[in-house]
Amino acid sequence: MKTRAAVLWGQNQEWVIEDIELDPPKAGEVLVKTSAAGMCHSDEHMITGDMSIDNATADMVGMPHMFPLIGGHEGSGVVVEVGPGVTSLKPGDHISVSFVPSCGRCRYCSTGKQNLCDLGGLAFQQGMITDGTVRHHCKGEDIGCMAKLGTFSEYMLLAESSCIKVDDDYNMQAVALVSCGVATGWGSAANRAQVQAGDTVVVVGIGGIGMNAVQGAKMSGAKRVIAIDPIEFKREKAMEFGATHTFASMEDAMASVTEMTWGQMADKVIMTPGVLYGEMMQLGMSLCGKGGTIVVTAIAPMSQTTSSVNLFELAMWNKEIKGTIFGSLNPRKDIPNLLSMYRAGTLKLDELITRTYTLDQINEGYQDMRDGKNIRGVIVFD
Amino acid sequence: MKTQAAILWETNTPWSVEEIELDEPKTGEVLVEMVASGMCHSDEHLTTGDLPFALPIIGGHEGAGIVKQVGPGVSWLSPGDHVVFGFIPSCGRCASCSSGHQNLCDLGALMGIGLQITDGTSRHHAKGQDVGLMCLLGTFAKHTVVNEASCIKIDNDIPLDRACLLGCGVVTGWGSSVYAAEVRPGETVCVVGVGGIGANAIQGARLAGAKHIVAIDPVEFKREKAMEFGATHTYASMAEAMPALQELSWGTMANKVIMTMGVGSGAVLIEALALTAKRGRVVVTNIHPAMEMTANVSLLDLTLMEKQVVGSLFGSGNPRADIPKLIGLYREGQLDLDGLVTKTYTLDQINDGYDDMRNGKNIRGVLSYV
Repeated sequence: MKTRAAVLWGQNQEWVIEDIELDPPKAGEVLVKTSAAGMCHSDEHMITGDMSIDNATADMVGMPHMFPLIGGHEGSGVVVEVGPGVTSLKPGDHISVSFVPSCGRCRYCSTGKQNLCDLGGLAFQQGMITDGTVRHHCKGEDIGCMAKLGTFSEYMLLAESSCIKVDDDYNMQAVALVSCGVATGWGSAANRAQVQAGDTVVVVGIGGIGMNAVQGAKMSGAKRVIAIDPIEFKREKAMEFGATHTFASMEDAMASVTEMTWGQMADKVIMTPGVLYGEMMQLGMSLCGKGGTIVVTAIAPMSQTTSSVNLFELAMWNKEIKGTIFGSLNPRKDIPNLLSMYRAGTLKLDELITRTYTLDQINEGYQDMRDGKNIRGVIVFD
Repeated sequence: MKTQAAILWETNTPWSVEEIELDEPKTGEVLVEMVASGMCHSDEHLTTGDLPFALPIIGGHEGAGIVKQVGPGVSWLSPGDHVVFGFIPSCGRCASCSSGHQNLCDLGALMGIGLQITDGTSRHHAKGQDVGLMCLLGTFAKHTVVNEASCIKIDNDIPLDRACLLGCGVVTGWGSSVYAAEVRPGETVCVVGVGGIGANAIQGARLAGAKHIVAIDPVEFKREKAMEFGATHTYASMAEAMPALQELSWGTMANKVIMTMGVGSGAVLIEALALTAKRGRVVVTNIHPAMEMTANVSLLDLTLMEKQVVGSLFGSGNPRADIPKLIGLYREGQLDLDGLVTKTYTLDQINDGYDDMRNGKNIRGVLSYV
């Protein structure tokens, strides 16, 4: 069948809306009509090269090509058709995608670490999770999909392992947001940082991830949630999501955090800027008190190999730096769980959406993101 | 096809070894030629009625074998694969499976019914009647048909008459120490009851770095075996252990007490708590009678000493992660499986084997089908 999708042909280019030829689902695969797709910063990281390698470099080091690529890894949709052997989904089911698949059988899936499922290893290569062959073609050429999903497309051809069934009474824009940004941010605070009642928490960078780290910290009973972002609009929004204090920069926050904690500093610092540069870690570490935890959630440039971490300080003050993907949550448990909090009114999702766009407006949406106008922009399909 | 199986037709009768009719595997199911099955106390609980599963039933839930045929839609097993059965299935998709608690997979709810997971019908028939399966498996048989959710694929170089023990007893005991009790280096651990579970609780506590491992069992042979598995002290009863443990621990008692008796008894929980240190933990692993509704506990002791009583199923482990993991420990010589097997029996000798178990002669008896 034919569909339309936003394609990235290489680094430092705009998204181009292309006609895509989609093969029918094979064993273990499903065809999904997309309802909504979140415009996450990680897709932008493919453009900037923070999380991508151009084809020429890939050729040089003998790696498979990342481009061209259908973008988008945050989305929701309705199952249209299932291939042979699909047992957990049927046509009409509402699903959230999951940018980390979960096979349910590997060592990581078997021990409550679905976010590290072995099937996630080839996320940047072309081809289906199921058998490695390609179902997506554009201009006669095979084409890859961001995180094996490609939610910036009217129809998605997905592996069952990338789909999480959700109740069909949820707003599909809310479902889309939970599939990446909300889970990642909320889990960074509530799960990976293990925020406890009474903690002081600093969240650095208030976008689609950071705002949910603020929500997660508040829900976990943090005494203070200190949100740091240079953009005034985001600082104002942070207060609506549960921040108790806001500052424009880590430098600005330093004296106040020292004073409000009587010199003890924060128990947990969560790093969620748009791009995490290594030199930002020094201030992040300094905002963190003795025995505290710094959680690294944001995407740092993949070629960056140094970071301003004072290892003497790390050891002598017993601090810890912890990385996280997907907030260290389990998609199959936590996506439905987060949506149940939304239903119960304890998790804000609708309020995260600053503006919606059509697929054709995608470049406008990403420009708004770059300009700091959006907490989250969402592409809505009809 | 026709095969042989040990069936329990009524409680308090012996196992009846007879020919059964076995259907082909349907969607999501596999036909397995069994190689070996452990003779676990839980199957004895079927005969006594402590485990009130539907009868008639083919016993056995600790088995290993070779896949012979796969039904439609089976995606990760092929004929020739060696498998150990998890006594609890793991679907890999429910909330429990998705958060590192495969031992509590929602499919486990079907265990008492004993029919096939996919469609609730039976592939096993005897005397013109459908027969259920212990833990959806029925390993007291030369062949069985089970759902792929119950199968854990293992490497082909591990002897299956050892690997079968990983389907239940070994992980249950080892995990009771390592996961449920969370034994830490330097702790004092009591293991009450040294059978197929308790012997592995001792091995788990040893590997986790326990300073003292006090094994308690009335049977002298088992106390001797306990020392081989890593116990540092043994006593015939909790009452006998009490003064010794007081002296051994300078009055602080055991950090962890793991209950792995043949049949649990609510009446003795108070003795176990008396062996337990402040902030210590009692792990209840053994099967208690289903209708037992009371246990002797001083709740004041629980509060003032911050003691914990924790239940554990399959050692709070995950079949798909822990069965391969413990095979790795066996391969490295850090887990003794060979020493667990006291005697092997043929399927026809099953009632002799259970007599030996009742008489305390075995750590583990194993049925061997080859």
